Amino acid sequence: MAEIKTLIKIKPKTYSVGDVVAVDFMAMHPMESGMRKDKDSGALILAHYINEVTFLLNDKVITKMVTWESLSVNPLFSVNLKITGAGTLKILAKDNKGQSVETTQQITPKG
Amino acid sequence: MERRSFLKSFGAMGAAITLIPQLGYGEEAKKVAGPNALSLDAAMSAITGGKAVTFSPKVTLSAPEIAENGAVVPVKVSVESPMTEKDHVKEIHVLASKNNNVRCADVYLSPANGSASFGTRIKLGGTQDVVAVVKMSDGTFLAAKQNVKVTIGGCG
Repeated sequence: MAEIKTLIKIKPKTYSVGDVVAVDFMAMHPMESGMRKDKDSGALILAHYINEVTFLLNDKVITKMVTWESLSVNPLFSVNLKITGAGTLKILAKDNKGQSVETTQQITPKG
Repeated sequence: MERRSFLKSFGAMGAAITLIPQLGYGEEAKKVAGPNALSLDAAMSAITGGKAVTFSPKVTLSAPEIAENGAVVPVKVSVESPMTEKDHVKEIHVLASKNNNVRCADVYLSPANGSASFGTRIKLGGTQDVVAVVKMSDGTFLAAKQNVKVTIGGCG
């Protein structure tokens, strides 16, 4: 199984303590709904989708998501985050076949 | 055999034959749909536990009115809230009323988020309502709804 590629973006790029920033997390995932048929064999393709995403700031859970197959291919998860100081943002994503991926991003406020 | 009785029995047989495949198809569709396949009302009551939901201007649901491609429909939910320990948004649920699986995402927020907002991209099988149900920290449920016209469906 191919590894899940991920992408984290923090908007705006420069921020200071007390700001509320938007954190965009994207995972490259097929998000099969289980309704699609294989074109050659006609058999149903098994559902394969991300069902759990957790955002942790300094190992403390700040946001948890439970998701289903209705999300698009390569889903985007965007939440806000209040900057309280330097730290590490860790994002864990899991799919229904048990594969998981972990991404970290350093938070370095300026000024 | 008399003509009348022959026609009757033959007619009944024909009806049975045409009925069988339809039943089979229905059962197969149920199997594929899985345990999450609920109607919108059932999903709403599963979330709220039977409590009343009020449509409120505090909840903003932004989705395109006309989506050319149902496979990628950007949806953003934001809620007016101070996000303090006492008064914050606990949960945001995104539902698509006519999808095979109505529930798209459940988001559990905390005061560390600073402001309550959730953005994602969903698949829509056809023209339908997108509903956002929000649970506040005092246990009340707010909601917002928007109809999205889909010209090309995104499922399959």
